[in-house]
Amino acid sequence: MEAVIVEDLSYRYWPEGPLVLKNMNFRMARGEMLVITGLSGCGKSTLCYCLSGIAGHRRDGVMQGQILLDGKDIQKLRAASLALEVGIVFQDPDSQLFSPSVEDEIAFGPENLCLPPGDIRARVDEVLDLLGISSLIEANPYHLSGGEKHLVALAAVLALDPPLLILDEVMSQLDQQAVQRVADVLKRLKDAGKTIIAVEHRLETVTFADHLMVLERGALARWGPIEPMTADREFLAAQHLID
Amino acid sequence: MHFLTLTQVNFHYPKLSRMALENINLEIEQKSITAIIGPNGSGKTTLGKVMIGILQATGGKVLLQGEPVSEMSLAQIGRRIGYVFQNPDLQLFCATVAEEIGFGLVNQGWEPARVKEKVDFCLEFFQLAEYRHVFPLLLSQGEKQRVAIASVLVAENEFVILDEPTIGLDAYRKKILAGYLRKIASIGRGMVLISHDMGFVEHLADRVIQLEKGRIVGDSERKGRNGYDT
Amino acid sequence: MTLDPRTKMVIVICLSTLALIYNSAGELLPLLLVTLLLLLLFRIDISSVWVYLKRFLQLMLVVFIIQCIFTRGGEVLLSLGSTALVSSQGLLAGASLVLRIIVIISAALIFTTFSSRDFILGLVQWKIPYELAFMVTIAMRFLPLFRDEFVNVVTAIQLRGVELKQVSWGRKIDLFRSLLFPVVFGALLKAQQLAVAMESRGFRAYPRRTYLRRLDFIWIDYAVMLIFITITLMLIISY
Ligand SMILES: Nc1ncnc2c1ncn2[C@@H]1O[C@H](COP(=O)(O)OP(=O)(O)OP(=O)(O)O)[C@@H](O)[C@H]1O
Ligand SMILES: Nc1ncnc2c1ncn2[C@@H]1O[C@H](COP(=O)(O)OP(=O)(O)OP(=O)(O)O)[C@@H](O)[C@H]1O
Ligand SMILES: [Mg+2]
Ligand SMILES: [Mg+2]
Repeated sequence: MEAVIVEDLSYRYWPEGPLVLKNMNFRMARGEMLVITGLSGCGKSTLCYCLSGIAGHRRDGVMQGQILLDGKDIQKLRAASLALEVGIVFQDPDSQLFSPSVEDEIAFGPENLCLPPGDIRARVDEVLDLLGISSLIEANPYHLSGGEKHLVALAAVLALDPPLLILDEVMSQLDQQAVQRVADVLKRLKDAGKTIIAVEHRLETVTFADHLMVLERGALARWGPIEPMTADREFLAAQHLID
Repeated sequence: MHFLTLTQVNFHYPKLSRMALENINLEIEQKSITAIIGPNGSGKTTLGKVMIGILQATGGKVLLQGEPVSEMSLAQIGRRIGYVFQNPDLQLFCATVAEEIGFGLVNQGWEPARVKEKVDFCLEFFQLAEYRHVFPLLLSQGEKQRVAIASVLVAENEFVILDEPTIGLDAYRKKILAGYLRKIASIGRGMVLISHDMGFVEHLADRVIQLEKGRIVGDSERKGRNGYDT
Repeated sequence: MTLDPRTKMVIVICLSTLALIYNSAGELLPLLLVTLLLLLLFRIDISSVWVYLKRFLQLMLVVFIIQCIFTRGGEVLLSLGSTALVSSQGLLAGASLVLRIIVIISAALIFTTFSSRDFILGLVQWKIPYELAFMVTIAMRFLPLFRDEFVNVVTAIQLRGVELKQVSWGRKIDLFRSLLFPVVFGALLKAQQLAVAMESRGFRAYPRRTYLRRLDFIWIDYAVMLIFITITLMLIISY
């Protein structure tokens, strides 16, 4: 069974609003990684909200079409149970941190999933170590630098250990070393069978992905294996995606 | 006289065990592009905020053209130095994009016709015209970033500090921004660019200052790159 | 002394109840002393009391003046022509009201000795539904969030060259009116985003949840709590 199936997906933020996503169709198998790119404002984040089930549960949003994750229709799942299917790291790190310490922030997800304390401890320590932020464990997430916040947000989602990971420009604020580290982590997760969808402007950081999707004003401009597309400089330049 | 002078500047956050900035000595000229680079958490944002007086140095002195920043009001500094925050959400507070960009001008007493002209130009240049009447906080991240940048650059301060201006921008908008910054630098307006985006900085900076763990570990001048500082 | 946060909560409730019941400076002053002593015991820097009080200074001044003017009786201390402005009774009433505020603020400082996580744990271990416990702490978090939002906006406005201190009152009111909607709306938007973020990490996925840590309510907690409740009740009954 496919991990992600999207059929005729369209989205507007309010009933008479413009179509932000237009009639999208695509599929992904388990363990594959998809990179989404496109100009600012083309609908990448909106697509992430749709895939994680958030957009469908918005009060004013109008979603048409169908999204199946592991065969389950996300429209029919309760918002909170979606956390078992999909983990999402938002583009703005400030809007997803709410705990008094980094440790609590990361433990929050596993606690909700009713893991025993010993396992929670192990997961917290593991993701902190994985992302190289063990020294921040006591810090207040509000009092971190921009890049540190993004790493904590990513750690908090990794601790949930969901089968599908959606990452909305998580690398945008990271320094070179952290970008490399996150890329390595993603590679390892992919090899372990996780499905990953990542929004990214700098394609050279995610060359190990399988598919590339180029969005243009809410529509799928192109979709295919990543390598030939990143090699097609002419196409990327025409889409204004490289200088 | 130097535009900004920092001598023996230290900064300590109440809840942080180590110093966020330690022993910073720096002179920055007005007519140049200075980049501040460094890894996450090295103190770049803190340094930017100390320069402009949002944070007061816990030790040492910060002088703006010879005057201590600690004795000026934020508005006095703000009229001379524009500041773009790392997170655009922190600096957007108007009901529409057009109001946001015009805010500083209106409140500094510009004539409505001239405000409109400048705002229209900025909306067009940063490709925000279609969002003129939209509530800024409902925009996409990259659009918010451009509104934040436009609302500061529109005031034509003699100097600007931009904290990670390229976050959320695509390659195309980065190029547009770089072009604009290069243009204003060529007419004598200086800036500090805080960024980890080496590709972006490489093309623009006359001088690159490298921070690590709150200290300056590298400072390379490359005079004359843009042809106005020989 | 490390007490369970629940014990500390009970202490704060006892102190503030007494502060609300007591009326005269003669009663409130000893209560303030007891409160400060407790703060010392909890290793809270007494000078931080002043830091917190400073924020309420204007409020206290206003309250004081209003009390002074509107409470009559006793000797007239200050008069404007034939109408008495400040009386001895008024002065006392004003002073005790200010004392009361000081006691409550000082007592609330005890809350700073434990984090909101411990607060949640305490409530949940007392069988209070976790949704409710989180709601309370998030609400408590919201006040600082609104404050931060406000501080950010004020900073941003000033950095755009507007000298708020020198703007005329009419202009200032205009400015605040035009900013009210976006700032409130922005804060609500942020609240909504936080709720979404919590839910997307599985909040309320199950009727139950586990916790990384747990609190131990030991004999000393029972003892301290019992003592405080008994004394408070006795003081209230004998009042
Ligand atoms: N909450 C919202 N309400 C209404 N319109 C919105 C909302 N969020 C985004 N939009 C609009 O929908 C469009 C797509 O936004 P989206 O955030 O998906 O873009 P994006 O591709 O992620 O861009 P970026 O690279 O800048 O993050 C934009 O034109 C934006 O203005
Ligand atoms: N309000 C605060 N309270 C306590 N510590 C803070 C606060 N803000 C930042 N810090 C700490 O100070 C250090 C420097 O932070 P700063 O934001 O200046 O880093 P930065 O170089 O801008 O990093 P980035 O590239 O991630 O934005 C970091 O270790 C951070 O955790
Ligand atoms: Mg986006
Ligand atoms: Mg920073």
